[in-house]
Amino acid sequence: MARCPFGTQRTRRFIPWASIAIPGAGWLMFGLYPSLATILYSFTRYSGLPGTPLNYCGMCNYHTAFTSLLPQLWSAVRVTLIYVVGVTVLQNAIGLGLALLLNRSGRSYTFYRALIFMPQIFSVTVVGAVFSLMLDPYSGPAEKVVHSLFGINSAFLGSSSLALLLVMMVNVWMFSGYSMLLYIAGLRNIPRSVYEAAAMDGAGRLRVFRHVTWPLLASATTVNVFLTTMATLGEYALVLVLTGGNFGTKTLGLYMFQAAFGSDSQLGYGSMLAMLQFVLTIVIGGGLLYVLRRREVAL
Amino acid sequence: MTTFQMTKAPKAPEAPQATAPMLRRLVSGARTRAAGVNLLCFAIAAGLFALPLVYVLLQAFKTYTGFLQDPTGTPHPWTTESFSAAWQQGHFGREMVNSLIYAAVPDAITLVLGVFLAFPISRGYFKYSNGLYTFFIFSGFLPGGLIPLFIEARTLHLYNSLIGYLIMTSLSGAGFFFFVGYIKGIPREIDEAAALDGCGYIRFIFTIVMPQMKPALATFGIFGFVHGWNNLILPLVMLSDSALWPVTRGLYSFFGQYSQNWPLIAAGTFIVAAPIMVLFILLQRYLVEGVAGGASFGTQGVAPGASGAGGAETGGGA
Repeated sequence: MARCPFGTQRTRRFIPWASIAIPGAGWLMFGLYPSLATILYSFTRYSGLPGTPLNYCGMCNYHTAFTSLLPQLWSAVRVTLIYVVGVTVLQNAIGLGLALLLNRSGRSYTFYRALIFMPQIFSVTVVGAVFSLMLDPYSGPAEKVVHSLFGINSAFLGSSSLALLLVMMVNVWMFSGYSMLLYIAGLRNIPRSVYEAAAMDGAGRLRVFRHVTWPLLASATTVNVFLTTMATLGEYALVLVLTGGNFGTKTLGLYMFQAAFGSDSQLGYGSMLAMLQFVLTIVIGGGLLYVLRRREVAL
Repeated sequence: MTTFQMTKAPKAPEAPQATAPMLRRLVSGARTRAAGVNLLCFAIAAGLFALPLVYVLLQAFKTYTGFLQDPTGTPHPWTTESFSAAWQQGHFGREMVNSLIYAAVPDAITLVLGVFLAFPISRGYFKYSNGLYTFFIFSGFLPGGLIPLFIEARTLHLYNSLIGYLIMTSLSGAGFFFFVGYIKGIPREIDEAAALDGCGYIRFIFTIVMPQMKPALATFGIFGFVHGWNNLILPLVMLSDSALWPVTRGLYSFFGQYSQNWPLIAAGTFIVAAPIMVLFILLQRYLVEGVAGGASFGTQGVAPGASGAGGAETGGGA
């Protein structure tokens, strides 16, 4: 424990506490407390109407979720898992491909990287509006292309078989620039001499990638896969804007949001769903870290 | 392969005259290849990532009838009337001011408070500084707190109020995580020297520590601003009065209201996107290379709810 050198003999003990008082209290009130209170509210039937009692009911929400409302819960979990796995795999594959292609010097490449990075700085509302127009079943360009190529009509975001895939693609479109940059940072950390040694041994492009680049990128891959998974697990704003959770796109996060802030305003039930989301995140995140770390060591 | 032949070529004594054209051919071959890769990268960047935005921007210059007649073509009579119509009907002027407040004020406050929170912990002035820091970080993995935050906001009369919204977003303590590590890099001797010279704590933070943290503050400030501007979920939950809405919330409703008038929606979309786009063009180097430069920065700065700061800032992400 270091001594604070500021202030007089009398004030120096209190200065550190004064320094953290306001931000610390703010964090307790608007950061930590809401997170912990989710646990408490998940055991209630609190409806959100002002003046109504908490209605503590034990495990009632959990019981309902796993009995009578199990189909809804299972569907939300299934959609979430498909969404997370699909986006993580696609976004990392595309991000890595882009990184290998765009990790070059020169002004034009700086410009291309910026263009690819750009979509994620926009609000989900903006991206949602852009792709609702692109994928509009009556007057969008995607409809025109699909119609002239295959002669079929599709409802796109209004189609139960396509909507989830399309939302995933929009998500990947939005964030693959971020994955690309993390992979480029990883590529730049690989010393040049390793490539020179590989070239001396006469290794071809594919073999260099397989035996040099890929293993040495392991830590970048860990960070990338973990971050994509965690961010996608909690995602629901984009889904809300694009489909409103209809047509088989209701993720667990959106289910929680709509249960709590939809017409029913079941804040207790929503809190329980937030808890399930938390458990899912911890299990998947923890498992993923374990696997990725072991892989890093093995490579 | 190229280098091998190029180094060997001048050594070949039998055909010294063949060297120059051979070399030229080799160089031009490499050049064509580089140009090909460049073209491919351009096609990807422009065709896949920029085209949807450009396409939608084009729609905004159509009249509604022009759009109905030829939805996918270029605007026939070019017009900017959709922009002025969207600006008025969407109340984007008022919402732009709201958005600016919601983005700038919490951003500035979190920045300052974050430094005040990070400094004593980083310097180890408390008995359990390290434990405290670890606890702060792990609290980001707790359940999302959006629902209790909503209940709390209503109890404390912060719901549906500009000041309330600012209080919640300013005090949730997001910026602090990256500052701790950064402050550790500032030598302690400076503290001792400043204190000996009679520099007060607050003055020390503002005039000595914060100027030393410029890169960290700039990066966090930019991402914090963009994040505040783009937030949709928190305004959706906390602000019911449309006079308080930021542009993102406004566009969300606007979009539902005029669902088939695409030129109008496209214009509204670009009005909302324009300030962020300008910011991006101005600070492109900071934003893009900032992520590439430090992955640890990016983990909390960019991906929404990635490490989940938990409370108001992430809107209950993870």
